[in-house]
Amino acid sequence: MDFDFTDDQISLRDAVQRWVDKGFSFERRHGIAKAGGRTRDVYAELGELGLTGLAVPESHGGMGFGPVEAMVVMEELGRGLVNAPYAQGALVAPALLAAAPEALRRQWMPKIADASALVVLAHQERAARYRLDQAATRAAPAGGGAWTLDGAKSVVPAGDEADAYIVPAHTGNGIHLFLVERGAKGLAVTGYPTHDGARAAELKLAATPAALIAEDGVGQLERGVDTGIAAACAEGVGLMDRLLLLTAEYLNTRKQFGVPIASFQALRHRIADAKMELELGRSMSYYATLKLGEAADARRRALSQAKVQLGRSMRYVGQQCVQLHGGIGVTDEYVGSHYFKRLTLLETTFGDTLHHLGEVSARMQNTAGVFA
Amino acid sequence: MDLNFTPEELAFRAEIRAWVAENLPKEISHKVHNALRLSRDDLQRWARILGKKGWHGWAWPRQFGGPGWNAVQRHLFEEECALAGAPRIVPFGPVMVAPVIMAFGSPDQQRRHLPGIMSGDVWWSQGYSEPGAGSDLASLKTRAERRGDYYVVNGQKTWTTLAQHGDWIFCLVRTSTEGKPQTGISFLLIDMKSPGVSVRPIVMLDGEPEVNEVFFDNVEVPADNLVGEENKGWTYAKYLLSHERTNIADVNRAKRELERLKRIAKAEGVWDDARFRDQIALLEVDIVALEMMVLRVLSGERSGKQSLDVAGLLKIRGSEISQRYTELMMLAAGPYAAPFRQEAMEAGWQGEHVGAAHLAPLAGSYFNMRKTTIYGGSNEVQRNIVAQTVLG
Repeated sequence: MDFDFTDDQISLRDAVQRWVDKGFSFERRHGIAKAGGRTRDVYAELGELGLTGLAVPESHGGMGFGPVEAMVVMEELGRGLVNAPYAQGALVAPALLAAAPEALRRQWMPKIADASALVVLAHQERAARYRLDQAATRAAPAGGGAWTLDGAKSVVPAGDEADAYIVPAHTGNGIHLFLVERGAKGLAVTGYPTHDGARAAELKLAATPAALIAEDGVGQLERGVDTGIAAACAEGVGLMDRLLLLTAEYLNTRKQFGVPIASFQALRHRIADAKMELELGRSMSYYATLKLGEAADARRRALSQAKVQLGRSMRYVGQQCVQLHGGIGVTDEYVGSHYFKRLTLLETTFGDTLHHLGEVSARMQNTAGVFA
Repeated sequence: MDLNFTPEELAFRAEIRAWVAENLPKEISHKVHNALRLSRDDLQRWARILGKKGWHGWAWPRQFGGPGWNAVQRHLFEEECALAGAPRIVPFGPVMVAPVIMAFGSPDQQRRHLPGIMSGDVWWSQGYSEPGAGSDLASLKTRAERRGDYYVVNGQKTWTTLAQHGDWIFCLVRTSTEGKPQTGISFLLIDMKSPGVSVRPIVMLDGEPEVNEVFFDNVEVPADNLVGEENKGWTYAKYLLSHERTNIADVNRAKRELERLKRIAKAEGVWDDARFRDQIALLEVDIVALEMMVLRVLSGERSGKQSLDVAGLLKIRGSEISQRYTELMMLAAGPYAAPFRQEAMEAGWQGEHVGAAHLAPLAGSYFNMRKTTIYGGSNEVQRNIVAQTVLG
């Protein structure tokens, strides 16, 4: 039981922080968002730092780091409000591809590692909401081990900037996971900006060729999504940490009635409550990360518990920090409001609070606690 | 980073678990697991069993006869005791006054008082709050005037928990009215059998006399019973607060009580009601998050690398959770929360229960737990402290 970071992990944190400080100002981020949220350049810079190879095994040209390093990076990217699809491309995709046949891994993993390819999960469908065991998209064998897919996927992160997609589809014999390349026949991609300054896309697949990643689609998908949940939790912690700091600075400088508004107890108590949510969130982000290696049942329960806590924390801290800023907090020019928007959309990423509360509720056991 | 305890820590846990299983009397754990009334004898019996093993002062260093455990070991001990259904160790002696006597008391005071605290033979009470000094504790007025070898104490303490059982009481008393209120306070040990000490119970919401008023009418206290220096008592009291760390979260008890809540919810048919069950699920998340926060503090204390200033957060969250589980238990009881029958809270009562035996204490526990967000520095005062760490 040890929650200290190693010197290497601290160096990693510092490296990301230095890049954010030097290369990713709010002005740059705001400019990207206003121009439609295209971040492939930013993603490439993360690749130059070696960060996109973080979770890729060394045998495929990556660093083969574990969940704690991923958490460290995500916290810093959150703190810096970095809107590139790092979690999706560099953490979730390698986790999903880990179960792919050797040839497929050899083809894609090195490109993920050096950021020359962006591979993202395209699993959301209109009717499935957050459920991972439902897919209306159908897969049909096309001979010689090849497949074709028919269906549609929604709100695919960085969808029109990606080079390939990991797509769950029903074969009639359960949900399998497939890889679809951007240029594949019959694939239509319609991109659009999102409220958090990034992009997403709708995918339509019509007899689109696909390569099989894994037959146990749901189990593998759950593994990938849990990786994504842990990343979302860590990003949320970084976002909340910085937003609370910005808010504290604001309260200490803004004057009304002749005094800094930080002197008013009603506002101070709100800050105390936001600090509470941040620290509970941080605690559960650690929990999520440290439970990623557990067997599926314990892992799923823990990740849902974490997402419930982070969902509540992110909403509380986001909303209250906007409120504490008064009018400036609801303007587009103020950095804090963009933290709020990212926090808001993170709650709906990989299952919102109510969805995961349902999961926790269904998975409750007689005993309780961290080690239950 | 690693969530798991080391093999040595797990072995330590197993040792504690086996010892508690062997030594905790079943009739006491039965009462704890079912929230039945605990007598003074129950509490003192367990204290003496621990004392004999040298564990009643489980957080004490070896130098004073304690086991010398580190923060993680102390936590594991507390957890094993709580999960096994041991009563909470009454903290006033071993947790509150003992560390002050160790740090600031004379060698004579240490020899005189520490053995009785460790053995569980001497029951201590805490004399802090007064009718006019609650959150603003430093405004306390109970006077101690030096007359030769004695202090003469006059005044009143209140909310004194379990003082009806007390042998000794440690008090903050005013020895000076010069300067700031904090600088005129002294820390005095008072034998409750002294002439002029009287105790009047206060019946609380649950019908139980858990706290008391304690009156001091020209009580003569030997000057030797002053701890440390005159007018430095506030410093000692603050030291004591800094000593009280993860324990205040009471997360181990919360884990045990969450299990009980689940049993009650099943028995009362609300476990399968999604709306009710989701409330239990939320509480479970709250408890895991609190436990993780406690573990972070312990890890930081042990390694010394990160110190977490979250005592206020632990107090706020722990107390809110203790209120929430009693609230949900009461709500699970539904209309059966209403009967107020104190005899039904005695173990072994042979009368006919309304509904079922497990329902009898639920509303009382709910009412009782309202105190937790008020005592030990109200949660509003705690929020002031937390805000200070963020805003300066």
